[in-house]
Amino acid sequence: MVYLSTSEEWQRQSSMLLQARPTTTRITTKYKIPNLDSPKYQNSKKRKRTTEGEEKEDVPRAVLVLKAYDPASGVCLKLKTDRQADVGRLITGLGRLGRYMAALPEKSEDAVMEEPSGGLALNPSDNTSSTPAAADAKTQQAPTESAGGNKKKKKGKK
Amino acid sequence: MANPHKSNDEFFTQLASLIEHTQKKGHGAIHLSQKRLTYKTDAAPTPEKIANNPEWDLNIADPLPLLVRATDGKSQSQDRKKNPNKNKLSTIVQPDDIEAFYARYAEVCKAGMQSLKKRDRSKRNKKKKKTPGTVEEKKA
Repeated sequence: MVYLSTSEEWQRQSSMLLQARPTTTRITTKYKIPNLDSPKYQNSKKRKRTTEGEEKEDVPRAVLVLKAYDPASGVCLKLKTDRQADVGRLITGLGRLGRYMAALPEKSEDAVMEEPSGGLALNPSDNTSSTPAAADAKTQQAPTESAGGNKKKKKGKK
Repeated sequence: MANPHKSNDEFFTQLASLIEHTQKKGHGAIHLSQKRLTYKTDAAPTPEKIANNPEWDLNIADPLPLLVRATDGKSQSQDRKKNPNKNKLSTIVQPDDIEAFYARYAEVCKAGMQSLKKRDRSKRNKKKKKTPGTVEEKKA
């Protein structure tokens, strides 16, 4: 349960996690509008009244939380935002991560230009040339990712 | 299956109404999830396959589809009663459709998620407040 501070960092680490564990990792997006009438927020309001004297807002403020979670290794990366300007960018980011999930190669303009109708299965030479490098990258990333996860877990326990 | 996967088009129309419903209600949550779909496909792992090669999924020749789900709440309440009012949607995105799907996905979410902070609202207000003030001072 780690909240990352920037969306770029979340995107980078999530893509590494997906490259290491593409099958088990899932990405969930939560859009939550808090219910200000619920007891939870009633209490927090009272505290605010005593400390600050005034209520800040009557309009509920929604939050958007992105979470990449791999149950096999226990790595959980989260990102929280409340800005509407982020929504479009983050979801196109999810599309980019979706390419890892679908086992598609990373989007590059050259590849699209070369094989508009050919498809991936019809170009075995490209696949074989690119896969060893990709495999190396993945095996290198996997241990670092798990190590990162362990560190994070330790932090959580403290 | 009681709840079959929707087509992508149907998914978007229903997702838009799901978000709009929550937005009108004034509180609540929308949960979206995406994952690789391996169930009942050729690439589905058998136990032997995993035992032979734990990293079997790192180099897959053929792209796999994605499973995208959306719900409007938790499936259980705190006292473990099933939530009867939960709406859930799911769709399968084929690898070729990913870009088109996410472009529309972003549109639907941008249009629906209106309770987030709007861009630069406070800055604009400050500027508006400042400019008339300065004009008045000049006039005076």
